[in-house]
Amino acid sequence: MILFLQQVLNGLIIGSTYAVVAVGFSMVFTVLRVINFAHPDIFMVGMFTGLAAALHVSDNIVVALIGGAIGAGLFGLVLERLVIRPLRGRDVLMTLIATLGVAIMAENGMAVLKGPDPLPFPALIGLTQFHLGGVQIGERQLLNFALSLAVLGFASWYVRSTRFGRATRAIAERPDVAAAFGVNVDVISQITVVLASMMAGVASVSVAVLYGNAWAFAGLLYGLKSFVVMLVAGNRYFEGVMAVALGLGVVEALVTGYLSSSLSDAVAFFLLIAVLFVRPSGLFGSYGS
Amino acid sequence: MGSFGFWQPIIIFSLLNVILTSGLYITALSGQLSMATAALAGIGGYVSAVLTANFDWPFVPAILVAAVATAIVGGLLAALMVRMRDFILKLTTLAFGEAMSVIAFNIPYIGGANGFSGIPLYSTMTDVVVVAALAIFVAWRFDGSQLGLASRAVRDDPLAAACNGVSVRQVRVTTFALGSAVIGAGGALSAHYVLLVTPSQMGFYFSLTYIIFLLFGGLQSLWGPLVATVLLTAAPEVLRFANEYRLILYGLIILLVILWRPNGLITRRPLGPGGRGPQSGTPSDIAFSGSRGSAAVDRREVETPIGTASD
Amino acid sequence: MSPLLEISDLHVRYNAVPAVNGVSIVIPAGEIRLILGANGAGKSTIIKAILGLQPAASGSIRFCGEHDLLRLRPHQIHQLGIAWVPEGRQLWGTLTVLENLRMGGFIERDAARLQRRIDELLQRFPRLGERRNQLAGSLSGGEQQMVAIARALVSSPKLLLMDEPSLGLAPFVVRDVFALTREINAMGISVLMVEQNARQALKLAHWAWLLETGRIVVSGPSAEIAATESVQEVFLGGRA
Repeated sequence: MILFLQQVLNGLIIGSTYAVVAVGFSMVFTVLRVINFAHPDIFMVGMFTGLAAALHVSDNIVVALIGGAIGAGLFGLVLERLVIRPLRGRDVLMTLIATLGVAIMAENGMAVLKGPDPLPFPALIGLTQFHLGGVQIGERQLLNFALSLAVLGFASWYVRSTRFGRATRAIAERPDVAAAFGVNVDVISQITVVLASMMAGVASVSVAVLYGNAWAFAGLLYGLKSFVVMLVAGNRYFEGVMAVALGLGVVEALVTGYLSSSLSDAVAFFLLIAVLFVRPSGLFGSYGS
Repeated sequence: MGSFGFWQPIIIFSLLNVILTSGLYITALSGQLSMATAALAGIGGYVSAVLTANFDWPFVPAILVAAVATAIVGGLLAALMVRMRDFILKLTTLAFGEAMSVIAFNIPYIGGANGFSGIPLYSTMTDVVVVAALAIFVAWRFDGSQLGLASRAVRDDPLAAACNGVSVRQVRVTTFALGSAVIGAGGALSAHYVLLVTPSQMGFYFSLTYIIFLLFGGLQSLWGPLVATVLLTAAPEVLRFANEYRLILYGLIILLVILWRPNGLITRRPLGPGGRGPQSGTPSDIAFSGSRGSAAVDRREVETPIGTASD
Repeated sequence: MSPLLEISDLHVRYNAVPAVNGVSIVIPAGEIRLILGANGAGKSTIIKAILGLQPAASGSIRFCGEHDLLRLRPHQIHQLGIAWVPEGRQLWGTLTVLENLRMGGFIERDAARLQRRIDELLQRFPRLGERRNQLAGSLSGGEQQMVAIARALVSSPKLLLMDEPSLGLAPFVVRDVFALTREINAMGISVLMVEQNARQALKLAHWAWLLETGRIVVSGPSAEIAATESVQEVFLGGRA
């Protein structure tokens, strides 16, 4: 029983990072109708700008987080302007390939700059473990979880309660009509990408602190899982994406705990096949399907 | 850099990829853009490797059996996917590919995580050239055949095709099986050159490479993807002079070419009025600014969109 | 004084197929004008061209004598004072009725002024007020049409473009919609309507054009058009 609860807790924590990356990825897909293969690399760049901030500015965790958010946000901004926007209206697979090109450049570029091996990330948060009735959770994990929830909460508030957030939803459902009612689709698209990027940037620094390192190829793992999460959840409600991401984290953790850790990576794919056979537009439905 | 020894592996790998791309082209013609190419190639590789290494089969029969086995698997997959379209279909092939990879990972008989090794080196340059030529020939003839025409009809408008007496199910299954056979043969050849088949090479990332070749070259004819395959296979090797920068350059080249030719390297003008170009991604493209991007667009000069007219 | 909207020699093509073939139309301020035509005649294409949602091969569309709409993007065109009631309503189904109206007034940045305008409209449409927090996708056809019209009115436009407002609606609902249109026009908003439902629409409009495969074949005050034999036969079910 303790093992079960512990793994559920661990799973929620891992899942919360999946959720942040997946929600950003999903927002961009839903609003811009593109698969940004470089989203995980935006995550990774945030990790390194956060590292730079931690090493050269201050060892305050907040500074590192801001560094991550700004670095990732800038990368996303440039990507949107130079790659995504010029390819609008083309086959979505073209943007996928172009962003893949960017991803290859980014990963290998970072590997050249900083080496292909993980770099140590300063211990900005301690290693204290808290015990709650048999299960334990570390300070860093707590931070990770709290940050992810905060970011997700912000995203949810933005989309549901702000003027631009409403416009974002309108574009996702009917872009022509949105444009015809005064929404500058280009501007909102850009804002959406930057927002998704900044979210990934914050998540990446929090993950770097958690595992104690920053790595040029860190994005790959999160990228694939987020993609699967987005497909399984459907892109209509991003609360659905959050729920599926958390669920995936929990199931993976349970599989690791009770079966074997090498199988846990396969969980995502079996889940994908299972769900898509039954509900092709994802568990919670998608726009335009 | 000029010695034949340097070029030989590059040529062989390029041709192996050409075989696989041809197979993918065949399935893609019927609208099924398979993301499981690497997985299917892996199946072909495993089958022929086991036959030659464990049962001492000669090379040619092993390749044939591998091709048939892959064709059967591909055909079954296509049969399962008959009702699916577009995005969901691509995803299912993706999931299938990954699942195959995980299954291979967990079968100790074929080596599990470490893959199957001890494969005899049967593939020679001649073999590869011959099979590649065959593959291109098959793809080219298929393209121009009745089945090829039917495939395109099924891709563009399954309902209309069905109304014209085309069995969508048969066309899809047949083209997928045919394409898979070619891919399986390619996988077999590859196994007997690289001398190793592993589960990890069956993954999505590798399958994506072939999609990239296809799209890079433009979906409208066979030659574009083949040219793209050779260029993109050779490029990282040729770029070796750039050392650790070569992958960065590779990514940059991919990016720049897509931005320069967003419809693919080689395009074909649509045949007459109403001829269809490459499928546009979204129905509401006008709300987005397209390649002009600037605030003052004179809509008189912009190409009219390709797609269905509403009124 | 220049007309509110002037379309000159508009040509729109889909690939090589002409959809609009040299159409010229004038809408003076204050009137309700009507484009009649069968499916495929090109009516919706003209509306989309005005809105910036459809590129044109040649021609010009001038608003208030100054702005060449073919040079502008959709959101800029809306800012000039043109609003759309799309064919098939095209509400944002995942947004509530209130959110749909708020989006209608997207260009209004003053939240208080926007709220006042929406309150006015909700008073005029009490059934919508009752359903304000319901998802727009869950409303009936007639209710959705009311939301679509209200949405277009939030920004207090000068010109309303109505694309087949009667489509898919029961006859008594259509009557209400057309009565509403008359009311809107009386408030000073000009209307360009595109319709297949000739009988009722001709009673509503001041002037009408008949569009056939991308060309205007008949043009004149609506009473005259209604009396024309060809229109009678095709649309009104035979000679009166």
